[in-house]
Amino acid sequence: MALSGAPVRTQAGSRAASRGGVKLRRRRGGGSLTHPASTGWLLVSPALLFVAVFVLAPLLFAVYISLTNWPLIGSYRFIGLSNYAAILRDATFLHSVLYTLLYTGIVTLPILVVGYLMAVVVRARRRGSTLLRTVFFLPYVIGLSVLSFITVLEAQPDSGAINVVLRALGITNGSTAWLVDAKLGTALICALVIWGVSGLTMVMLVSGMQAIPRDTYESAEVDVASWWEREWHITIPMLQRSIAMCLILSVIGSFLAFTQFFILTQGGPGTATTPIVMYIYQRAFVQLQVGAATALSIVLVVVVGLISAGQFWLLREKH
Amino acid sequence: MVLRRRDVLKLAGLGALGAVLPACGSQLPEPNVSAAGFGEDAKGSVRLWCRAATQAGVQVTVDRFHKVQDRIRVEVTPVLDSQYVTKLATAIRGRQVPDIVDIDDINSMLFLYRDALTDLTPLIAALPFRKAISPGHLGLAARDNRYYAVPYLADNSALFYNEQLLERAKVDPGTLTDFDGYLEAARRVRKLGPDVYGWSIAANSPGILGFVVQPHVWAADSRTIVGTVGSQRAAVAENKEVRRTLELYRTMWREGLLPRPNFADTGATWGSDFRAGKVGLLPANYSVSVLSADKEAKARTGVKLLAGPYGGSAFFDGGDNLCIPRGAQNASAAWEFAKFALDVPQQSSLPTGGYTPVRSDVATAQFRRSYPQAVAPLDRIQRGYAPPTLAYNLLFNQPDSPWIAMFRRAVFDGDVDGALEAGQRGFEKILEQAQL
Repeated sequence: MALSGAPVRTQAGSRAASRGGVKLRRRRGGGSLTHPASTGWLLVSPALLFVAVFVLAPLLFAVYISLTNWPLIGSYRFIGLSNYAAILRDATFLHSVLYTLLYTGIVTLPILVVGYLMAVVVRARRRGSTLLRTVFFLPYVIGLSVLSFITVLEAQPDSGAINVVLRALGITNGSTAWLVDAKLGTALICALVIWGVSGLTMVMLVSGMQAIPRDTYESAEVDVASWWEREWHITIPMLQRSIAMCLILSVIGSFLAFTQFFILTQGGPGTATTPIVMYIYQRAFVQLQVGAATALSIVLVVVVGLISAGQFWLLREKH
Repeated sequence: MVLRRRDVLKLAGLGALGAVLPACGSQLPEPNVSAAGFGEDAKGSVRLWCRAATQAGVQVTVDRFHKVQDRIRVEVTPVLDSQYVTKLATAIRGRQVPDIVDIDDINSMLFLYRDALTDLTPLIAALPFRKAISPGHLGLAARDNRYYAVPYLADNSALFYNEQLLERAKVDPGTLTDFDGYLEAARRVRKLGPDVYGWSIAANSPGILGFVVQPHVWAADSRTIVGTVGSQRAAVAENKEVRRTLELYRTMWREGLLPRPNFADTGATWGSDFRAGKVGLLPANYSVSVLSADKEAKARTGVKLLAGPYGGSAFFDGGDNLCIPRGAQNASAAWEFAKFALDVPQQSSLPTGGYTPVRSDVATAQFRRSYPQAVAPLDRIQRGYAPPTLAYNLLFNQPDSPWIAMFRRAVFDGDVDGALEAGQRGFEKILEQAQL
C-alpha cells in the first residue's frame, strides 16, 4: 500500500521498464493505481489520529509552552526564545549535562561487558542455565526504584549492610556516609545501575548469540580456534546489531536517568549529583518554572535524538 | 473528495491546538463570601484535599462533622505531600478545583500570590476567636493585609529534653535559655556515658534544618530574609545570630556532643536516639518527640521554646492552612466545615495525631493535663514565626538549598566564614529569581 508518490516497484522491474522504453505514468495526485488515495488515508487515519492526539499535539504544545514564561501556578505570557537563550547561561544546567556525560561514560561499557559475560555464561543449554538467567535478570525485573530504596537503607552509616560488610572485611570502619558525598554517591549509583541493568543486556545478547549458526563454531573448532578467537572472530562480529542496540538503549537510558538519583542522593550534596532530567524536574516542580523546564526538555529530546542518530551511524553494518 | 497528506496534517494540527488551548484559560471566578448566609446551613458535598500526612486527623474531624449534621458530606482526597503543589496547580489549570484544601502553610503562599485562592478576610475577621489564632501562622496566609487562608493545625518546633538525663547530669532545665546554657547542659549530659549524647539533629535533612535551626535566629528578633514579598533580600553573611548558631553546632560537633550518625541522618531516624533515652536535648516537633514515644519516654520528656544566642525564644510556626480555591463549587459548605474544624473540640484533639492547635485559647486546664508537652507554643504563641516568602522550598527544603549547604560547611567542615558568604550568595540568587 502506498500512501502517496510513485507506485511500488522493484529495482529489477524499474530497470526492465526503463530498458524497454515503457514508462509507468504517475496517477494525478499520487496514490495507488488500483485504489483511490482516500482509501489509503482512511486505512491509516486511526493511527494518524492517535499520533496526532498523543504525540503531535503534546509536542506542539510543549514547544508553545517553551516559548512562554509558563509557571506551574498562575497566568503566563509569550517570551519568545528567552528560555532557550538562558540555557547557555545556566551554570547548574551545564553542570548537570557534564555530570550526565560522566555518568554515561562510567556505566555504559561496564553494563555491556557484564551483560556480555553473563550472556556467555547462560547461552549454552546446560543444567542450571535457566536458573542463572533468572537470577541475572531478576534485578532488572525488580526495577531501579525498589533497588534504590533498598540501597538507601543498606548504605546507612554503621547500620547498613554495605558498611557492615566493609567493616567485617577490615576495609572501612563502617561509618562511611555514602549518600552525602558526591564521589561515593556516584560510585554507589553506578555500581547499582550496572548490577541492575546488565540483565537486560544479557537477555538481548543471548537471543543474538542463539541465532548464530552452530556450524560456524564447528568450522572454527575444526580450525582449532581457541575460545577467545571464536568470541572475537565469530560471536562479536555476528552480534554487531545486538551490541549496537544495547549500547544505544544504554546511552539513552543513562541520559534520561532520574529514579536512582532522586531516591538515593536527591541530586546532592548541593547539585553535585544532579543529572539532566532531575534538573528539569526541579525547574518544573520545585522552582515551578514549567516554561523554562519545557525548553530544557526539548533541547534534551533533540540532543538525545542526535546522539542516537550518531550512534546508529557509527555502529551501522559496513557490509 | 481527495484527501491530501498536507490537508490531513493541517487538520491534525488544528485539532491538537483546539484540544489544548482551552486549558490555558483565564482566572477562575471567586466565590462571593460576603453573600448573605454564606457558610451557614449549606448543603451538598464538599471535596476536601488534604496532605497524606494529615489524612488520619482530617478524617477524624470529617467523621465528627458528619455526626453533628447531615446536610453536608465531605469527601476526603489525600494527596502525597511531595505532589501536592503540582496536583493542585494542575487542578487549577484544568479548572477542576476541590472546594477546600488543607495545605502546608509554606506552600499556601505560592497559590495566594498567584490569585488562585478566595479572599477570606471578612470571614476570618468575624470569627469570635480571631485574636487567639497564631499570628505567625496567619502571616503565611496574608497578602496586602488580606487573608486567603485560615490556619488549621500547627506543627511547631521546640526544644525537648530528657528530664532524667538532665537530673543525672545535674542540669537545671531553667538554664536552657541561651547558647551557654545549651552547651553546658550538652557537655554534662555527654559525660554520663560513652553512648549518651548531649544534643541530636538530623543534619542531612534540609527540611529539618530549616525547621529547628532557624528559630535560634528568630529568638533574637533577627531574620535571614528581609523585605516584603516581591522585593526580598538576604541577610545572612553579616547576621550575628546566624554566625553564633552555626558556631554553636560547630562546637557541639567538634566536642563530640552530637551522635556521629547525625552527619548522614536524612530524617529517617529523627528522634529515635532521644526516644531511646540516649540524648539529653532534641530540637524537634511534638510528633517526633512525644507522639512516637512510649509511655515511659513521654513521662520523662520536657519542653521549652528554642532560645537565641543570648536569650529570647521562638518556634517555627509550621502546619497547615485551610484554603478555598477560586472556582470552588460549594464554597459556602466548605467554609462551614472550616469553622467546625477550628472549634475547640476539634482543635483540642489535634495532639492525638501529632499536631498542635492554632488557637491559644485551646490551652485549657484539661488540655494541659492531657498534652503537657503541646502547651509551650500556645503559651507564647506570639513567638511563632515562619518566613513569608515564595522561595521557602528553594532556600530551605531542597537538598541543594543554600541553608543546608551553609550549615554543613560550617558545622562539619569548620569553615564558618566561607559558609556564611556562600549562604549569602545562594540566598540572593534564589530570592532574585523568585520575585514576582
